[in-house]
Amino acid sequence: MLTGAEILLESLSARGVDTLFGYPGGQIMPVYDKLYDYSDKLRHILVRHEQGAIHAAQGYARIKHAPGVAIVTSGPGATNVITGIADALIDSTPVVVIAGQVASTALGTDAFQETDFIGLTTPITKWSYQIRRPEDVAWAVARAFHIAGTGRPGPVVLDFTKDAQVGQALYEDVKCDFIRSYVPVPEVDDKLIAQAAEMIGKASRPFVVFGQGVLLSGAEKELAAFLDKGDIPAGSTLLGLSALSSDNPHYAGMLGMHGNLAPNTLTQHCDLLIAVGMRFDDRVTGTVATYAKQAKVIHIDIDASELGKIVPVELGIHGDAREVLSRITAAMKPSVRDSWMKKVVSECKAIEKDKVSDPEINPAEGPVRPGEVIARVAEVCGGDAVIVTDVGQNQMLAARYSRFCKSRSFISSGGLGTMGFGLPAAIGAKIADPSRKVCLFVGDGGLQMTIQELGTVMQDSVGVKIILLNNNWLGNVRQWQELFFGKRYSFTRMMNPDFAAVAAGYGITTVNVEKRDDLAPAIDRMFSDDAPFILNVHVKEEDNVFPMIPPGKSVDKVMLNNKDWFEYGE
Amino acid sequence: MENDSLYEITVYTENQVGLLSTIAGMFTRRSLNIDRLVVYPSGIEGVHKFKIATRTSASMARAVVLQLEKKVDVIKAFYEIDDERSSREAAEVRNFLSMRERQKQ
Ligand SMILES: Cc1ncc(C[n+]2csc(CCOP(=O)(O)OP(=O)(O)O)c2C)c(N)n1
Repeated sequence: MLTGAEILLESLSARGVDTLFGYPGGQIMPVYDKLYDYSDKLRHILVRHEQGAIHAAQGYARIKHAPGVAIVTSGPGATNVITGIADALIDSTPVVVIAGQVASTALGTDAFQETDFIGLTTPITKWSYQIRRPEDVAWAVARAFHIAGTGRPGPVVLDFTKDAQVGQALYEDVKCDFIRSYVPVPEVDDKLIAQAAEMIGKASRPFVVFGQGVLLSGAEKELAAFLDKGDIPAGSTLLGLSALSSDNPHYAGMLGMHGNLAPNTLTQHCDLLIAVGMRFDDRVTGTVATYAKQAKVIHIDIDASELGKIVPVELGIHGDAREVLSRITAAMKPSVRDSWMKKVVSECKAIEKDKVSDPEINPAEGPVRPGEVIARVAEVCGGDAVIVTDVGQNQMLAARYSRFCKSRSFISSGGLGTMGFGLPAAIGAKIADPSRKVCLFVGDGGLQMTIQELGTVMQDSVGVKIILLNNNWLGNVRQWQELFFGKRYSFTRMMNPDFAAVAAGYGITTVNVEKRDDLAPAIDRMFSDDAPFILNVHVKEEDNVFPMIPPGKSVDKVMLNNKDWFEYGE
Repeated sequence: MENDSLYEITVYTENQVGLLSTIAGMFTRRSLNIDRLVVYPSGIEGVHKFKIATRTSASMARAVVLQLEKKVDVIKAFYEIDDERSSREAAEVRNFLSMRERQKQ
């Protein structure tokens, strides 16, 4: 006989889990007590706040392509992970959260540190379950991992009562790969494949928009082969970045509000839009009323509720991106497309380089621009690093100026836009794959939301490279105030601490950069070893991210700077 | 604008605690008023049935049904302007379950 706590740890090991991100407390202590004996099998990373645990588990999951695990106590420990659960749901990240709970006999009595955690998390989980008996632990863990990691991945909560942790039961590993009410990978009818191939064959200007679904289904090669055979250009969503290498000849750039001119323009000029593993977020579509109205739409997604949810489709294919893409590729004829789309892409790229990117990454004078920091890091890393971002201008610029040659190399909070996500997610990513460089781009606002995780970096010597784009503003909000609220800078100016002094308290090296000439040597120094490092760059304070599609506008009406607009064909 | 009608949304589920609030939450989220709610055993062993009446558009009813079906313990969901076809639905649920039973083997 084993206790429920032991069965939990055995079942986690049986699922191949080797790392837990967590924080102890009263109602999870029986599990922590047993964890003490499992340190050869299960590495526990002690974070400094439970939000850090869940975001680290998310960063870990994105690199490992398997569920990340966070373990917390009941009450405040559990409520502290709620932001990360919501983030994982909207960004389809597989995580399993194990939370302590008061004894089943005390449920509903307002016992010390009791919260209705299942009730609180039901709308933001893929599945949640309260374990009230030690006999149910192995079953619940197996089911949790199956659900979190298959189909469209997402967060699962296990609420583990204290009596179930200490009670005893026979342990036998339970497998779970079948739940009759849950069909993670639907079968796709040949007719739909044939119809898609035919629509693509007939189109003269097809265009692909892809998202994280490509990464989640492992369809990177299939996507590239599909684009090659059909000679089709493609644009990526924020979370789709790195699914296609940046120098792939078909890659037109990033879609959406701060995306590149070429893919946003093609969206409005294609005759067939093929959406793969993406969900038409409003940051991608701009105003939906005018979005790709001229085009027929094929939408491929593993989540049936996404098909037709935002954009009406001619053909919805409910299926796994990898399988569907390879079957369509096999069914379609090779094409060489007219050069019109190629001309649009190269013209858009030239205009964007001239008007936006060049001034941003090669400024001759003035304060350091955030874009040049990112471009320099990209150059030194050669597209090989994992790029993690926080939220705001730092995020959009990191997405714009980073380069990728390996898949699963970009980690960011897309759907929820959670400031404070970056540092703990970078910690999780580095722990998932210590052999890769992990670079975090973060603003002064976002870093201070989870800055306590520098303690985790210190304790576990996590070699993350933290690049602080320090502008002394909540930059992204300030940009909106400048452009859309008549420069009324209501509470966006930040008085900041001496970050180097804070980091010194944690024994982390910081280099402050104020002048352009100091940037390149500081970056070289940062990458001279694998130790944690903060590069605190004082960037231009009132800088804006362009291009920008202002809210409520169509995706081909783009601001290039404070006065110039771009629309193809003018 | 689409016209609103009184829709009957039928949800067949596994017998799991907490599903009522999961299902009700789906309606609250879209600001849909529940006019009538009935829960009872479906007649298929181990399968529960929720019938929820709400006034809404066809596209909203469809969206809600698809999002309900996403829930792990929801087997199938349907929407109809009237409830005459519930026996056909039950047949569809039976077919689905026996197909899954075959796939399991
Ligand atoms: C938790 C949270 N609170 C508030 C916001 C709204 N918000 C989005 S970007 C931003 C400013 C970010 O400033 P900073 O971290 O300094 O980054 P910058 O934009 O300057 O790069 C704010 C407040 C958010 N996304 N998340």
